[in-house]
Amino acid sequence: MAVSKENQAKPSTSDNKDAINVSRRTFLGAGAAAVSVTAIAAGAQASSSMGAPTVVNLPSVKDDEFTSDIIETDVLVIGSGIAGLFAAIKAHDAGAKVIMVSKGRLGSSGMTPFGKGVFSYDKKNTKMSEDDYLKKVATSAIGTNNPVFTKLLLEHSYDRVQELKSWGFFDSPLCFDSFSKPMNERKIPIFERIMMTHLHKEQGRVVGASGFSVAENKIVHFSAKSVILCTGAGAFKPNGFPMCDLTHDGSIMAYNIGAKITGKEWADGHPASAANSGSSYDNWHGQVEQKPSIEGAEIRHDLGVDLNYSAYMNGGPVSMGPGSPSEKEAVVVGGPWVPEEFKRVGGPPSGDNGGDRPSGPPPGMGQTSGLHAIWAKLTGQKQSAPQGPPGMMGESVGGSTAGMSIHKSEGLVPIDANGLSTIPGLWASGDALGSHQTGGIYTQIGSSMAGSAVQGALAGEAAAKASKLVELLPIPMDTLAQTKTDILAPLKRTKGYKPAWVTQVLQSVMIPNFVLYVKKERMMDAALAYVEELRDHHVPMLVASDRHHLRLAHETANMVISAEMKMKASMMRKESRCSHYRLDYPDVDYENWNAWITIHQSDDGEMILEKQYWDKWPKFS
Amino acid sequence: MPINEIAGCIGCETCVKACPTDVIQMDLNQGKAYIAYPEDCQICHLCRLYCPVDAISITPEKSIPVVVSWR
Ligand SMILES: Cc1cc2nc3c(=O)[nH]c(=O)nc-3n(C[C@H](O)[C@H](O)[C@H](O)COP(=O)(O)OP(=O)(O)OC[C@H]3O[C@@H](n4cnc5c(N)ncnc54)[C@H](O)[C@@H]3O)c2cc1C
Ligand code: SF4
Ligand code: SF4
Repeated sequence: MAVSKENQAKPSTSDNKDAINVSRRTFLGAGAAAVSVTAIAAGAQASSSMGAPTVVNLPSVKDDEFTSDIIETDVLVIGSGIAGLFAAIKAHDAGAKVIMVSKGRLGSSGMTPFGKGVFSYDKKNTKMSEDDYLKKVATSAIGTNNPVFTKLLLEHSYDRVQELKSWGFFDSPLCFDSFSKPMNERKIPIFERIMMTHLHKEQGRVVGASGFSVAENKIVHFSAKSVILCTGAGAFKPNGFPMCDLTHDGSIMAYNIGAKITGKEWADGHPASAANSGSSYDNWHGQVEQKPSIEGAEIRHDLGVDLNYSAYMNGGPVSMGPGSPSEKEAVVVGGPWVPEEFKRVGGPPSGDNGGDRPSGPPPGMGQTSGLHAIWAKLTGQKQSAPQGPPGMMGESVGGSTAGMSIHKSEGLVPIDANGLSTIPGLWASGDALGSHQTGGIYTQIGSSMAGSAVQGALAGEAAAKASKLVELLPIPMDTLAQTKTDILAPLKRTKGYKPAWVTQVLQSVMIPNFVLYVKKERMMDAALAYVEELRDHHVPMLVASDRHHLRLAHETANMVISAEMKMKASMMRKESRCSHYRLDYPDVDYENWNAWITIHQSDDGEMILEKQYWDKWPKFS
Repeated sequence: MPINEIAGCIGCETCVKACPTDVIQMDLNQGKAYIAYPEDCQICHLCRLYCPVDAISITPEKSIPVVVSWR
């Protein structure tokens, strides 16, 4: 497919000179191999008295080859998905100097390239009143949604969708060009392929952030008056869902400077097909090649964890296709509780169709992919014929989103409707914000994309306004030096553990359905012991042989902390509700658990979990 | 193999930037893109869709073990 060559305002990170020279790499690789052999030989000689030999990490890039840049701005937007896009342009339009930085490319990283249905609440043409909508979402979400954010979705989604339309977003399956349009018009600089790892706090507020380039040997420090995290969600680099670039980096950076995180106990339960479970493309029927469409109001109760329950009780794989032999067996007693109103047998959920297509999943998506398949199965609806390559039809296995909660319901704890975090100067929006827009369950198709757009815009405006009231505070030199040391540590270590291996161990411990989806105290305790071992022993010894593996090392470290949060929050919530299901506490506990869980780090580094009752907003930490 | 082959590349570097998981790199000597880290390919097809000359082919199998929550 042809795409126009971009001419966006951009930094110098993508020149050809920065790419790796293959012959040099090969040479160094061969050299490294030769040295390793020597090391093994030496080790073998010594092994009788000193134990097993170890291979030395000899990186192809040296830590002392890294230079540092310091870049100043009013508002720093981290992330270039749909939340980042709206945060940047609205902050710019509110008069701030804005810089966007991303681990990947504008509109081609995170989950945004794959979200095709976008919710638009068209007040003039909807049959569902705001009040009805809010009541119904609260019923489906069993109270876990924050109505302030649900309402913002109704207030602003239409306007954001109109803006997207004007940039051509709905005219192409790929969104780089439509996203570049408003960014180029405003000449907002974008720093791509930079993995951010640190936020900096001085005098009680956020004053900047740092990261490193995966394209060249560079550390980049941003000095900013306000920072907006649009870093998306994260998972354990699971299979069959295109989110392996997301590892909750924003949440963990924020947690490290004392911010509160929420929503870790919820579980997104998307399955994958048993065949080629690792192919995101096939599992989604090539949906990435479809143009986005607009979704009308329609409230649902889309689980997914129920499939894990049924596979747990009956054994897997679970049938997803119509009329297959195991279909009947998959119906099991017990499992996650569904509110009466949503236990429909046949027929689409009630609601209107304010969108541009008939009710149901987006065109071409059919009811055979993702949660639509689950939903179709739950409601007994006839599924449409399989389309495209083998995907969700037939036998399914679980865990394709393992490590992700529910979109919009995990991330930084907001203290106001603009997504201000518990740390002054730091905002979050979209999948990085624990807004609980639809609670611990999916209630509306398209609300994830729309919610990111709505929240990004609000955070952008608020951060721009706030940056007018403060001076740029310099990041102290010793902080910058320490940050650089921390970032490059895995390159410097001569011995240790490969990130890919630590990730694989983590996946094996966390992903089984009897750990992450069908929960019970003893299993979670056991998993937590593994996770704590990785945290204390292996993460401090992660090694990297080049910039790519340096990125993997930092991502792995973040996933381990996220796993710890998931287990601790899931153990604390001694009830079952929405996508959090416990075999040992299967019922909803209205008396004790009409609350969210927040997680923060104490001054001495301990992970603290607290209840936050639904009617209370937290304050600055 | 996930991302499998790059053939007929004109060296525009788009796929290097468009890959979310940093799988593809540039070979400076050849002026062409090459597959550097196939094990990290999430089989999302973004590189293929953004390539102006359709040089990239991808197969649906992962090259590393796939951990699922049941089977
Ligand atoms: C297959 C699939 C289908 C979906 N279908 C739908 C749908 O039909 N409708 C719907 O509403 N939603 C859908 N979603 C969900 C939706 O895509 C997301 O909720 C939404 O795109 C989130 O947008 P965001 O901008 O908040 O985050 P993302 O789009 O995830 O963007 C995160 C950004 O942060 C950057 N980043 C992350 N970490 C760092 C770091 N350390 N340093 C620098 N940058 C960083 C990433 O590079 C990326 O640019 C789907 C998702 C998937 C994967
Ligand atoms: S298919 Fe996706 S993950 Fe694999 S190389 Fe292409 S863009 Fe990267
Ligand atoms: S996008 Fe296509 S032409 Fe451009 S570098 Fe990649 S493979 Fe080559």
